[in-house]
Amino acid sequence: MAETTNTAYPQVLFANRKPDRIATIDDYRKNGGYEAIQKVVSTLSHKDVQKIILDSNLLGRGGAAFPAGLKLQTVADDAPFPRYIVCNADEMEPGTFKDRVLLHADPHLLIEGMLIEAYSAKAEKGIIFIRPEYENAARILEREVAIAEKAGFLGKNILGGDFSFTIDVHRSGGRYICGEVTAQLNALMGKRPNPKQPPPYPTEKGLWDLPTVLQNVETLCCMPPIIRNGAEWFRNLALTESGAGTKLYGISGRVNKPGCYELPMGVRLSEIIEKHAGGMPEGSEFKACLPGGASTRYLSRAHYDMPMDFETLKAAGHRLGTAAIMVFDQKTCMVAATLNLMAFFARESCGWCTPCREGTPYIRDLLWRIENGRGEPEFVDILKKQCKYLWNAYCAFAPGAVSPVEGLLADFEDEVWAHIHQKTCPFKASD
Amino acid sequence: MLSQQIQASKHPPELVVDVMMAVQEHYGYLSDEALEEAAAMVGMAPTKLDELATFYTFLYREPVGRYVIHLCDSVICWMDGYEPLRDHLCKKLGIQMGETTPDGLFTLLPVCCIGYCDRSPAMLINKKAYGPLTSEKIDEILETLRSEAAETTPS
Amino acid sequence: MPKLIIDNREITVPEGTKVIEAAERLGIMIPRFCYHPALGSVGACRVCAVKCLEGPRKGIQMSCMIDAQDGMKVSTTDAEAVDFRKHVIEWLMLHHPHDCPVCDEGGHCLLQDLTVSGGQGVRRYQGPKRTHTDQHLGPLVAHEMNRCIQCYRCVRYYQEFTGYEDLGVMQIGSRVYYGRFRPGTLESPFSGNLIDICPTGVYTDKPSRYRGRRWDFERRPAVCLHCSLGCHVTVSARYREVVRQEARFSESVNGHFICDRGRYGFPYVNLPERPRSARVDGTETGWEAALKIAGERLESAAWKTGPQGIAVVGSARCGLETQGMLKRLADAKGWRGPVFDIDPAAANVRTAVSRLDSDLRVSLREIETADCIVVVSADPLNESPMLAPALRQARRNGARVAVIDPRPASLPFQFDHFPVAPDDLAAAMAILIRKCADKEPLSELGKTAVRSLRGVSDGADIPDADGLAALYDDLHDSRRPVIVCGTHTAPPEIPGMAADLALLLRIAGPRAGLFYVMPGPNSFGAALLSDPALSFGDLVSSIEEGETKALVVAESDLFGSGIDWDRLQNALNKLELLVTLDYIDSQTTRAARILIPTLTAYETPSLSINNEGRVQQSPAAFRGGDPIARTGGGEHPPRAFRRDIPGREMGAAWTALPTLGGRNPGSAPVNLTAWLGDAHPALTSLPESSDFPPDGVRLPLAENAGERFQTDRFSHGEKEEDALTLLVADSTFGTEELSSLSPILKELTPSPCIQIHPEDAAEFDLSTGDAVRIDTGAGTAVLPVQTTDRIARRVLVIPRHRDLDDRLPRERRTVLSKTAIRKATEDA
Repeated sequence: MAETTNTAYPQVLFANRKPDRIATIDDYRKNGGYEAIQKVVSTLSHKDVQKIILDSNLLGRGGAAFPAGLKLQTVADDAPFPRYIVCNADEMEPGTFKDRVLLHADPHLLIEGMLIEAYSAKAEKGIIFIRPEYENAARILEREVAIAEKAGFLGKNILGGDFSFTIDVHRSGGRYICGEVTAQLNALMGKRPNPKQPPPYPTEKGLWDLPTVLQNVETLCCMPPIIRNGAEWFRNLALTESGAGTKLYGISGRVNKPGCYELPMGVRLSEIIEKHAGGMPEGSEFKACLPGGASTRYLSRAHYDMPMDFETLKAAGHRLGTAAIMVFDQKTCMVAATLNLMAFFARESCGWCTPCREGTPYIRDLLWRIENGRGEPEFVDILKKQCKYLWNAYCAFAPGAVSPVEGLLADFEDEVWAHIHQKTCPFKASD
Repeated sequence: MLSQQIQASKHPPELVVDVMMAVQEHYGYLSDEALEEAAAMVGMAPTKLDELATFYTFLYREPVGRYVIHLCDSVICWMDGYEPLRDHLCKKLGIQMGETTPDGLFTLLPVCCIGYCDRSPAMLINKKAYGPLTSEKIDEILETLRSEAAETTPS
Repeated sequence: MPKLIIDNREITVPEGTKVIEAAERLGIMIPRFCYHPALGSVGACRVCAVKCLEGPRKGIQMSCMIDAQDGMKVSTTDAEAVDFRKHVIEWLMLHHPHDCPVCDEGGHCLLQDLTVSGGQGVRRYQGPKRTHTDQHLGPLVAHEMNRCIQCYRCVRYYQEFTGYEDLGVMQIGSRVYYGRFRPGTLESPFSGNLIDICPTGVYTDKPSRYRGRRWDFERRPAVCLHCSLGCHVTVSARYREVVRQEARFSESVNGHFICDRGRYGFPYVNLPERPRSARVDGTETGWEAALKIAGERLESAAWKTGPQGIAVVGSARCGLETQGMLKRLADAKGWRGPVFDIDPAAANVRTAVSRLDSDLRVSLREIETADCIVVVSADPLNESPMLAPALRQARRNGARVAVIDPRPASLPFQFDHFPVAPDDLAAAMAILIRKCADKEPLSELGKTAVRSLRGVSDGADIPDADGLAALYDDLHDSRRPVIVCGTHTAPPEIPGMAADLALLLRIAGPRAGLFYVMPGPNSFGAALLSDPALSFGDLVSSIEEGETKALVVAESDLFGSGIDWDRLQNALNKLELLVTLDYIDSQTTRAARILIPTLTAYETPSLSINNEGRVQQSPAAFRGGDPIARTGGGEHPPRAFRRDIPGREMGAAWTALPTLGGRNPGSAPVNLTAWLGDAHPALTSLPESSDFPPDGVRLPLAENAGERFQTDRFSHGEKEEDALTLLVADSTFGTEELSSLSPILKELTPSPCIQIHPEDAAEFDLSTGDAVRIDTGAGTAVLPVQTTDRIARRVLVIPRHRDLDDRLPRERRTVLSKTAIRKATEDA
């Protein structure tokens, strides 16, 4: 599928990706694997590493796009020990599967990434928090962690220095909210995974009240190549000025070749769909896409040529999120699609704060009525108000949840009205 | 193994989900008694475990079948035919969503996006992913599991 | 000190104050559900939204989550904020059953108030409502989950504040459910606060269910009388019965909460067996007439025997007025007494009162701010329950809490327990005192203190003596250590040693505090006003010797004293006259020749002094009289009409006492507080009842009394080798005199048992579940054994229990020989 298409672009994270085969430690080392940590341990201070990561302009790949180097720097010099690294492999954003592909392709890339992160945060314990649906990946990781330990890359006095680091794989019980940093830390401590508003920030008081740096799988995997090739190299990988590095774009829905593609940051949406994902099926026209998972706004036809980079999308009032592009064609009912997304959010709301707990099912109910021909004209205003006020929820879940609804009301309001006026779903009627 | 880990752990509650998963694996689901057993293992109050057991998708507080089918109902799978597949599964198994077949083999549950959007529509059975699905493939999978069950169950 | 503007009004508040609190200081009550001052802010309900117009934050903000900051301009009435709050209410009401007409919370429901005041009156949501199954939570709290608005207050209170884990939050999203793992009685003895803290009717008061609406009740503030802490409660009375009690906020004493003993201890007021008419020689007599007869008989007794042939006895549950009037009467008539200290712990209380210097004492709330606490010879949860959550709050703030007590202490938080046998407690305290005396600034004083310890062992043989020494280091390194000392079961030297330690610590550096726990609600007053020269034991002897012929007993059951029951009964039989004034039915009221029923503290204004010397006032909650349930046979309105209240003839004990003085009474006082000053100088300057501050007044006690070390109390009788010490202990429910009469608490009262260390048990071939036959000296009991390694060695603990009253020794500590206990076999 994916690996055959884009030889034109450098493959950094997928350098060792092979069809139906997991890269072994030998495969990984053949291509320069574990050289970065060697370099780090023998020649760089933890501050040096932080500086390189910061200079590389590596932004968090989990969706929030927080600068990875900046996060490392928020661990105070005099912060207590032991410190923790958490790798967020709880990839639960609907439409997102890039981390799964990455973990199955090259597990040692993640292990080395965690080592670099740990070295720069002076952490000695790493935890990979993985969703239970990825049991297969969890087993791969456990196996490869043991192999890395045997090879001397994990454990005490790594590569003969005084740096020690171990990695545990923690399987989640499975809930979307566990992907949220503070909720994930609660989950790791055996508490209910409700988010907890900072301060204190996890880098100050995280796991067991100790400094904890949490990063997404893909973010961590970017670190070894950055160390090996330098910050400038990484920045230059992007096609846009604002971007840096390559990005794993997961594309699904109405395309001929759904899959995960490593492309330079800032590649255009049209190119991803047409060139890499094999275009849209016969008879399908691009209507909209979600650019980065369920909690982003729809990109309509007007944005078809948009460079897909955190900054460019932000400037257009959108979010790149996890870069999980879900493509909808003209035959898809946007009300029904949004209803599906809302049903997801209503089911996954953790129930901590009122707007999210009660507002998401409320919106789901309104959309369900509209979709099923029971919509009333005043629903549109109620929806708009609900969307607006869900931004006042406790964490970022609810603002994410209403993003597609806002997109629906902004770009497809006529479709909503058509449902209400015709007292049925026009897409069902035309079937 | 797990009890060793608990003893070695500075913070046993960090293992509470693993313990519940293991106990669930053993008994099939987390009955009240199983939950109490897990609570005793980690030295926490049963209520604290129930707070978690009722939170997570993959911890079952009610009896489930030998094969738990989690059929993805998120947006890509929905677009790619979740509804007809669900109806097919329900008909084939003779149960509704959330129910278990009378022979105790299959439980059918919805699940949110399982991260197989490139292979949609998809489902998990006992945490193993299947996709892209068609009615025919589903029939095949069910048949394989049925015979697997027949082979491993002493008659 | 940030200065900000809220609704165009400027206010300066301390750093760290939340905007919601700052507004409250201005009298602006921002709506709230999840926020509670005792629980803090969590930002869950989102109903406290305000709009920040200027300053470091802009737009809609949750006022519970943001600190007041300089330059903030906040509007609580901004249209967007109001509209958002209205939406929050709409969300919260989506699933609410709107069953206010049948909900006990209706009329004092925060959800009801905010729904109405928020203007949310139209239902727009057309979806189905989620429903829940309720659980049985025991006799106190009713559960009705459909009403829930998921504010998380209950679990936060239950788990975080009080430290119990049998009530939790289950499920996720809009199905969030608060309940137990399995239905059953809530384990926390503070569970009743759930009723107060729930902003709607999920948790309601079970015993008073359907007994009335808030506006039906006569509601008055009162002070709890079920231990010495004097927590604040609000009483609700209807149809001349007390129906329910709620916690009442007190800045200095109990904060926002009370214990279940205090909340549900009130039914003694309503009991059918409560004496309500006066009796003379077994014949019902009018109240005034009975008093007059009593006065005449006492006068004639005085003619025959002289005034010294008459003695007066009160108790720690008498109001301060009654205690004072007993003293006044005794002084005026030359009678003996008063004796209040009938509890065996009396001497300890007296020591405590004499050693509680003004600069050492701390209030219950101040304990929460301590950073190192040593609890000696006290069992907080069982003796003064609200002390336990206070200690827990200190622990949550990082304090170390250590308990030095032989009993198997149990507290809802992590603490260090030193299970030291009663005979070793002095040595354990001496370890701490000796180490403290070594410290620099104490050289001379320290020597004096150490000299006073002559005869006390160096404690080397105490289990974990090193741990105690290390505990001292923590005490010394703390900023605000507090010594908490019990008096119930403590050996006589311990309260003084606790004071010695606090005093030395104070001088050595840290701002040490001292907190005593006492057996009765008004023990402090009893200690101040009793005749120091007369003990109750002396009094009984003098009856036996025929010197005392007549006894006036006010609100005291002599059978709760330290005197053997048979001996006491014989002594009472020898009396020519026993006049008893009381509001409960007891062996003493039944033995009385003349019985004068009196009003409870719910029916008459009353003063009491709590364990820290704080005089508190309770106004009357209702006017008293026979409950309508009795006079009307349960019917209301009554079928017969009369102008007066039936059963209202009786008065407070202290108003009755002057008449007992006969023709030359001790003259009924005009000014209550003025004559109390005559009774004891410390009571001289009590404010008028109308001026009484809400948290009462702390009595002026000795200040910085300096070198008053415990001396010459260290005399132990030689103990038989292998002897065992039996401790008669308290339990949260069922041992305190008044609350043990409560039918509501009956189900919570633990069944009798005996606790023993497993290794000691093994010696008698006993293990948990076995029955043991024990000869306590006062009788023989067969009890189930509970072994626990948290108890001191060679110690047996039996919690007091009504079923055992006649078979337990009157003393709190009794030495038993090995032969006193043996395994009870089935055929035995």
